[in-house]
Amino acid sequence: MAEQSCLVSNDWICGEYLSTRGQELVDATLQHIGITLASVAIGLLVAFPLALLARARRSVRGPVLGLTTVFYAIPSLAMFSLLVPVLGLSVSVVVTGLVLYSLTILVRNILAGLAAVPEEAREAARGMGYGPVRLLFGVELPLALPALMAGLRIATVSTVSLTTIGSIIGYGGLGNLVLGGLRSYFKAEVLTASVLCVLLAIVADVALLLLQRLLTPWTRTPRRRAPRVGAAQSPAGEAVA
Amino acid sequence: MSRTSRRARTGRALLAAGAVAALTAGLAACGGDSLEKSGGEGGGSAKPGQGSLVIGSASFTESKVLAEIYAGLLKDAGYSVSIKTVDARELYEPALEKGEIDVVPEYAATLAEFLNKKQNGKDAPPVASADAGATVKALRKLAEPRGLKVLDPGRAVDQNAFAVTKEFAEKHQLKTLSELGKSKERIKLAAGDECPERPFCQPGLEKTYGIDITGIDPLEVGSTQAKQAVKQGKDQLLLTTTTDATLEQFGLVLLEDDKKLQNSDNVLPVVNAKKAGSQKITDALAKLTRVLTTEDLTELNKKVDALRLKPADVAAGYLKDKGLLTK
Repeated sequence: MAEQSCLVSNDWICGEYLSTRGQELVDATLQHIGITLASVAIGLLVAFPLALLARARRSVRGPVLGLTTVFYAIPSLAMFSLLVPVLGLSVSVVVTGLVLYSLTILVRNILAGLAAVPEEAREAARGMGYGPVRLLFGVELPLALPALMAGLRIATVSTVSLTTIGSIIGYGGLGNLVLGGLRSYFKAEVLTASVLCVLLAIVADVALLLLQRLLTPWTRTPRRRAPRVGAAQSPAGEAVA
Repeated sequence: MSRTSRRARTGRALLAAGAVAALTAGLAACGGDSLEKSGGEGGGSAKPGQGSLVIGSASFTESKVLAEIYAGLLKDAGYSVSIKTVDARELYEPALEKGEIDVVPEYAATLAEFLNKKQNGKDAPPVASADAGATVKALRKLAEPRGLKVLDPGRAVDQNAFAVTKEFAEKHQLKTLSELGKSKERIKLAAGDECPERPFCQPGLEKTYGIDITGIDPLEVGSTQAKQAVKQGKDQLLLTTTTDATLEQFGLVLLEDDKKLQNSDNVLPVVNAKKAGSQKITDALAKLTRVLTTEDLTELNKKVDALRLKPADVAAGYLKDKGLLTK
């Protein structure tokens, strides 16, 4: 009976793998989510002031964009290996590396979003007596949200996949299982962990898309308003909305 | 109208603030948690004697099982243990020197050469040989100044070995590498890309055994790709290790190293002298060294790589079968 098991015959898809390694998969997925969330959140917290600084001062802009792009170009294996002597064999190595990778995407997208804010909107806000802080958070940031969220989505998906490289020091979430599976030619382990990783990326992307729609309802208002011209047909209009 | 839009805006602002708060909370939870945990490990193991020990493991099966067996023995001796999987020696060896990792299952000749190169440069003359005693002596000389304590080696050996397909072996009636040399077959070798420079690899095969190597297929040592290349007949000879349990799956057989070309890669525990150099730890790990054989290692690897049992379960089973635990 044991000889018939899909684990022994090393099938790509194996139910027994799921039933015997459930806890392993859950732990790896949670570690993966934790590392990704921490990295993207810190990345955002670092990228936002950097983008503001780069926007405010032309002299800072070049170095900030150049440096973050250089970080992005460092091969991930090298990045993590270089950080180990500094930070030790800890999860902070992986998070730091991933934060550095996310910066170029986030900074560029925040900058692009802020640059796309119509000058008239700024003028109007200033005319209404908005100070610089209120202008930023009340007018510019909401208008820059679509570009910012687009950047956040790219950064998140790329972070989900790059997290796997953390497996070289044992903090790679699902990557630990992929690496272990590759080393021991364990097909079910490699495939299951890879599929979960892809699913994680898709779920994160869709979740951020929904968040973006919630945060920027005005991007959908023109459609809702259009049918309102002929008020009688409004039920169809509601359905669209 | 303007009131509703303001309300909507407040709602949006709240939502945004909520999202930021959630992200920050998540971040604080993850970051804080793991940082504290690693800090705790460091603090605990700083106390000599009764403390927690971090066992290092590489990401291949044998290392994982050995780390689990070490963990079982040390737990039995009253330590609390955790296992850290680190892929490459370049990463875990410095951590072992620093005491971030306390115990690692190692291989005498490989570690000796690694430290030799680190200490004396890339072109340093080799210190490891086919003589196990001399190799361990050379290893200790290199390891001690770095704060590493090399415990006694046992009989179990996981060293480089060469394999061919069963059909190839039968066709040319091969059991040893000498016979392969005599067969005058032209051989393409699947091995690491450093093979042409390593005395145990291409130069040794050519000089010691007179094997006609036509080329090296630079695939990682003992990797799945390398095995497949040999299985498919793209390459004829595979560089792997003596305890490789997946050879059967690929229809491969080992050829005996009858002229002792390979260095002695006896399995031995290497510990951080300051944090895990105590006699108690040495004694606990020596229990394994006394009984472990190369056949045991192959069998343990097979249970994980072929039968797909979990390394921890395989280790626990071995400790129980050999009666190595007191509790």
